Amino acid sequence: MSKLWTLYYREMLEAVRSYKLIWIPVVFIILGIMQPLVTFYMADILAASSNVPAGFMDSYEMPGAAAVMAQALGQYGTIGILILVLGTMNSLAGERSSGTAELLMARPVSPVSIVVAKWAANFTVLIIALVLGVAGAAYYTVQLMGGLAWGAVAAASGLYALWLLCAVSLTLLFSAWLRGPAAAGFALLLAAGMSLAHSLLPSRTAWLPAALPGMSASVLAEGRVTGGPMISAALLIVACIAGASLLVRRNKLPN
Amino acid sequence: MDKVNWGLIAPLLALQILLAVVGLISLARTEQVRGPKWMWVLLLVFGNLLGSIAYFTLGRKEL
Repeated sequence: MSKLWTLYYREMLEAVRSYKLIWIPVVFIILGIMQPLVTFYMADILAASSNVPAGFMDSYEMPGAAAVMAQALGQYGTIGILILVLGTMNSLAGERSSGTAELLMARPVSPVSIVVAKWAANFTVLIIALVLGVAGAAYYTVQLMGGLAWGAVAAASGLYALWLLCAVSLTLLFSAWLRGPAAAGFALLLAAGMSLAHSLLPSRTAWLPAALPGMSASVLAEGRVTGGPMISAALLIVACIAGASLLVRRNKLPN
Repeated sequence: MDKVNWGLIAPLLALQILLAVVGLISLARTEQVRGPKWMWVLLLVFGNLLGSIAYFTLGRKEL
């Protein structure tokens, strides 16, 4: 356990040194507060762009607080996921190419603890970024649009965190196998593929982890939550960690 | 745009500047980046959010 803790500490130190622990949360906060701001000033922005037909603005209605919050979370489903995946893609691949992996493997640490430590570090960055981002988005939404149901915001963020964690875990799995950019490409492709499958056949794929963003938005609109996507997401994450550990073990040097 | 409340927008600007400054510090302390350094300086200073994201994700060779 203390070995795992040491590895995790090393990963977090690396996240600080590579500025990941700063830039990813800052980008998430910017994305979060931009959404309510842009929505609030949409009428002004459109008016300033001058080629809006007369009378168009009369039909513009300010969306409610819950809708704006759902849109802000939606930002994390597009740009946010891209940033997290690009930030994770080198966690195992980079060590392989720089030779750190051999150094690490020569020591008596198990592949599982290496992968779990990396996964936990990436999870920590994700949670810090999402909590700060959601806090920023919620603060601006409350200031500009009106009150939010805090329980629903927390539940919706939790569901979104699970979906983002799926993407991060997939990246880690591919990162144990391929070079960084290819790993990011495959992980994004799989996440996008799942989202596409879910949007084409929502009733048959309601159990997929890709249903989580939709469920997150519906929670904000006081919708219901089903357990299926959460269970499949948890299974996917465990499978990714196990798969990545096996791949790391395969690369282990013979004694 | 005379009713724009700068108190609302200032934190956004501050965060963008923070991001660019962190990027510039990182750029100054690293030796190898993909492409010429002056290009990244321009992107960080004038590229807003996307310029900074591009630098942090694509610009640096893995540490």
